[in-house]
Amino acid sequence: MCQVDEDYNGQLDRDEVLSFSKKCVKCKEATAVLVIRAGDMFCSGCFKEYFVHKFRAMLGKNRIIFPGERVLLAVSGGPSSCSMLNQVQEGLSQNAHKKLRFIPGIVYIDEGGALGLSVEERQRTVDELQSMFKATGFPYHILPLEEVFDLPSSVLEESSPSSEQPDITYKAAVDHFIQTNRNCYLSPEKQADLTGLNIQESHTHSLQQIFGSIKTLTAKEDLLQTLRQHLLVHTARSKGYSKLMLGDNCTRLAVKLLASISLGRGAQLAIDTGFSDLRYGDIITVRPMRDYSAKEVSFYNHMYNVPSVFIPTLDTKTTDKASVLRLTESFVTKLQAHFPSTVSTIYRTSEKLQTIQPSPSSSTAHNWDKCLLCMCALDTNVVEKASAFQATLISELLSQRRASRPVDTASPTLRPEFQGPESTAAGGVGCERAACGGGCCSSVKAPESTELKSLLCYSCQLTIKDMSSADLLPQYILSEAQRRKRRSQMREEIREFLLDEDY
Amino acid sequence: MESPLPLQSLRVGGAELLFDGVKEHQVTLPSQSEPWDMKQLLVWIQRNLLKERPELFVQGDSVRPGILVLINDADWELMGELEYQLQDQDNVVFISTLHGG
Amino acid sequence: MPVQCSSCGERRAMLKRPKTGHSLCKECFFWAFEEEVHQTIVAAQLFKPGETVGIGASGGKDSTVLAHVMKVLNERYNYGLKLILISVDEGITGYRDDSLETVKRNQQQYDLPLKIVSYEELYGWTMDAIVKQVGLKNNCTFCGVFRRQALDRGALMLKVDKICTGHNADDVAETVLMNVLRGDIARLRRCTAISTASEGEGVVPRCKPLKYAYEKEIVLYAYFKKLDYFSTECIYSPNAYRGYARTFLKDLESVRPSTIMDIIHSGENLSVREGVKMPVQGTCSRCGYISSQALCKSCVLLEGLNRGLPKLGIGKHHRLHDKILTKQPLTEAEERKLRKSVDF
Repeated sequence: MCQVDEDYNGQLDRDEVLSFSKKCVKCKEATAVLVIRAGDMFCSGCFKEYFVHKFRAMLGKNRIIFPGERVLLAVSGGPSSCSMLNQVQEGLSQNAHKKLRFIPGIVYIDEGGALGLSVEERQRTVDELQSMFKATGFPYHILPLEEVFDLPSSVLEESSPSSEQPDITYKAAVDHFIQTNRNCYLSPEKQADLTGLNIQESHTHSLQQIFGSIKTLTAKEDLLQTLRQHLLVHTARSKGYSKLMLGDNCTRLAVKLLASISLGRGAQLAIDTGFSDLRYGDIITVRPMRDYSAKEVSFYNHMYNVPSVFIPTLDTKTTDKASVLRLTESFVTKLQAHFPSTVSTIYRTSEKLQTIQPSPSSSTAHNWDKCLLCMCALDTNVVEKASAFQATLISELLSQRRASRPVDTASPTLRPEFQGPESTAAGGVGCERAACGGGCCSSVKAPESTELKSLLCYSCQLTIKDMSSADLLPQYILSEAQRRKRRSQMREEIREFLLDEDY
Repeated sequence: MESPLPLQSLRVGGAELLFDGVKEHQVTLPSQSEPWDMKQLLVWIQRNLLKERPELFVQGDSVRPGILVLINDADWELMGELEYQLQDQDNVVFISTLHGG
Repeated sequence: MPVQCSSCGERRAMLKRPKTGHSLCKECFFWAFEEEVHQTIVAAQLFKPGETVGIGASGGKDSTVLAHVMKVLNERYNYGLKLILISVDEGITGYRDDSLETVKRNQQQYDLPLKIVSYEELYGWTMDAIVKQVGLKNNCTFCGVFRRQALDRGALMLKVDKICTGHNADDVAETVLMNVLRGDIARLRRCTAISTASEGEGVVPRCKPLKYAYEKEIVLYAYFKKLDYFSTECIYSPNAYRGYARTFLKDLESVRPSTIMDIIHSGENLSVREGVKMPVQGTCSRCGYISSQALCKSCVLLEGLNRGLPKLGIGKHHRLHDKILTKQPLTEAEERKLRKSVDF
C-alpha cells in the first residue's frame, strides 16, 4: 500500500531564482556581495560586522567560559577552525568591542600517520601551520596522532572538575576580572612547544596496523575521531586547560547529526552536536562556530584573508558511497541546494534533543555504564520490551549454528527451545561461550572482539565489529577494558551484599 | 566579441587537488562570436584544467553542491549564476566547503 | 561452488540474508524470518489471547507477507487470535482493482475472512474523483488521511480489537529520516513506537509486527514462498520529498546494511529536551477522531471537497476552521484563496 504519510503537506517548494535587487538588507545602501540563508543579502562591511558579532554573542550568551580561563583551540587547518582562531584573535585584541577574556592556546593533531602520508609531507604541513600559529602569539602544541600510544588509561574515566572552580556566577566573575584588570597576553617565550614533529616510527607502524585492520571507511573515520578526541582531551588536561574549543560549523553539524542517526547514535545526538559537551567532567568542549554555515565561513575567510591549510583526510577524493559520513555529506549538500532550509532545520533538531548521562558522582565507580570509547551512557540495555538492539541480537543468533546456540540468560524473552526445521546434525562446531549475545560463533571475528562488546555503546560496537582484531587497539584502551571487566566480575560476586544498587 | 577574453585570475580553494595542486590560474579564453558565460566556462575548465575526478567539481551543468563560486569577490547567486556573462579581467574563485574545518 | 547454510550446515545455501549477510538455505531462512517476527510480537506484547486482529491488507508485498506470517505464527504458537483481512478501496481505477483481486486471492489462500471498505461508502468520494477536483499536487495528502481513518472505521465495524499493518524496518527508518529532515520533533519521538495505544473514540490500537523486518527480506520471503502480491506503484505520483529520504536510505543500506536497524535504534533512543513545545492531542468536534485542532484533518479535507474549495486543508488555515465548524459563510477573499487554481 502507498506509504505516504498523511500529514506531510508537500509544502516544500523549490526555491525561486533570486531577483537582483542587490542592496544589502542591513544598511540598505551598499551593494550586496553575498547571499546567506534563504535570501539575506549582505554587503561586505555589514557581513563582517554580523560575522564578528555572532562569535562574541555565542560565547557571551552561553556564559560557559569564565574570564581568565585557559581555553585550548583545536585547529585542524581547515576553514572553520582557522576562522575560529581568527575570531579569537580579533576578540582578544585590546580595542575589541566586547572583548573576550580568556587565555587561549592552540593544538593541532597531525593524523598523517593514519593516512599513510610520508614524514616529509607531514612536516611540510606542520611547518605551514606553525608559521600561522606563531603569528597569533598564542602558545601552540603540535602533536602527532601516534601519541595516543602514550595515553594513560585514565583518559577514559570521567574526571571531576578541579576544585579551583569557585561557585561564583558568571557575571560576578566578569566583574571581578575587570576590577583586577587582568591581562590576557602571554610572554612570547612560552609559545613554541615543538619545532618539529616528534614521531616514533614504531608507533606509526602500529597506527597503520590499526587502520589497516579496519574493513570499512565508516569504521575508520569513527575510530579516528575517537582517538583524536581522546588525545585532545588529554592534551587539554595535561597542559592545564579547562576548556576545549572545536571549530564545527552549522553545515558540518547538520551532516554529523544525520550521519550519527544513521550510525545508531540517537541517544548521543545532543552531546555530539550541541554547543557544550560535558562528558569528560573536568574538560568542557564547546563549539562556538555552530551557528555559521560553511558558506559564511568560506566567504569570510576569502574576503578577509584568513589563512587555512588544505590537509587531506581519510575521505578526501573518495566516492559518494565510500562511507556513511561521506554519503550523508553529499546528500545534505545536494538537498540544501534544492531546499535552502535543510541545514538549518536539521541543525535545529539538535537543539531540541538531550543526551541522558548517568548522574555524576565524585567516585569513579560509575564507569561501567559508560561506553569505553565514546564515554557516553550505554544504550544497550536488553530489557523485556522489544527494541532494535534486541532484534539485531536475535537475528544474529538465529542465523547461525543451531546446535551450539546457547540459552541467553541476559534476555529472558528468548525461548530456550529452537524448534526450527528438521535437522540431522548432532552438533556443529561452535564455541561454548554462553550469554555472549550472539556473534561469537562467527568465524570472522576473533574472540577478543566479543570481550569489548559489553563495554561499548551500540554505535561503537559497530565500529569494533569492523576491526579484524580489537587487540590492535592502543594499550590504554585495552587495559581500561580489562580493568572494567575485573570490576564488573567483582561486582557480580558481591552483588547481593551491596546495599547501594548504584555503587 | 572578437578578441580573446583574458580573465584576471581563476582561483580554486580547497579543490586544488583536482587541479594538479595549482591554486591560481591565469586564463585566457579563446575568442568566439557569442559572449562567454559561466556555463561555458565550466565546460572549458572541465576540458582544459581539471586533471582528475570531474564529478567532484561539476555536476550536470553546474558546479557540485558545496562549491562556492565568487565572481569579482561577490556571490555568483547575485550575478545570475550560470547565466552571468564574463567580462574582461574578471576574477573567478571556486571554494570547496566540503570537509575541512 | 555451493556454500553450506550457516544455520543447519546441511542444506545448500540459497540466499544471503540482507540483514546479517549470513548464507542460509530456504528452510532456515523461512524459519529465522518467522521466528524473528514471533520474538518481536512476544517481546512487545502486541496481542492477547482471544483478541480479534484486523490485518491491513493492500495486496502489496508487506501485507501479503504479514497475513501469511500471522496465520502461520497464530497456529504454530497458539496465539489464540481471530484474524481478519481488512482492505481499503480508494477508488483508483486500474491500480486498486488489481490489488483488490490479489487480496481476494489471499483470502482464499489463507482462508481468512475479508472485509473491504471503500472511500466511496465512507466519504462519498473516490480518489479518481478527488484528483479531478484537487489535481495531482496534493492528492496524496487526501489519500493518506482518508486511508488512515478508513482502516479504523472498517475495524470498528468488524469489532476488531487491534489492527496490524505491514510497516517494515525500511518504512520506519525512512520515517525517522523524514522527521529529522522536517524538524518534526513530535513525530520523531512517536514514529518508532511499535504500537499505538487507543488514543480516543474511533481509533483502534495499531501495531507493526514487521517493524524489524527488512524490506528486502520480505521480498525474499515472498519470492521463495511463492506468495502472490501486487507490485505496481500508485499511478498518482507519490510525494517527491519522501523520495529523497528513500534514496538516501537505500544508499546507506548499500554502504552498511545494518544502517536500517541502526536508524531505528537511534529513533528509539533519542530523548527530547524538557520544555520543548509539543502539539496537544485532542479530539475532532465533528467526528470524534483524534486531532490536535478543533477539526480533524479528514473533516477539513472533506469539507473542502464538498464545498468545491480544493485547497482547504492544504496548508495552514486553522483560523478558518472555526468558521467552517459553525457553518459561517467565508468572505470572498477567503473563498478565492481556497479555490486557487490547482496544477496538474
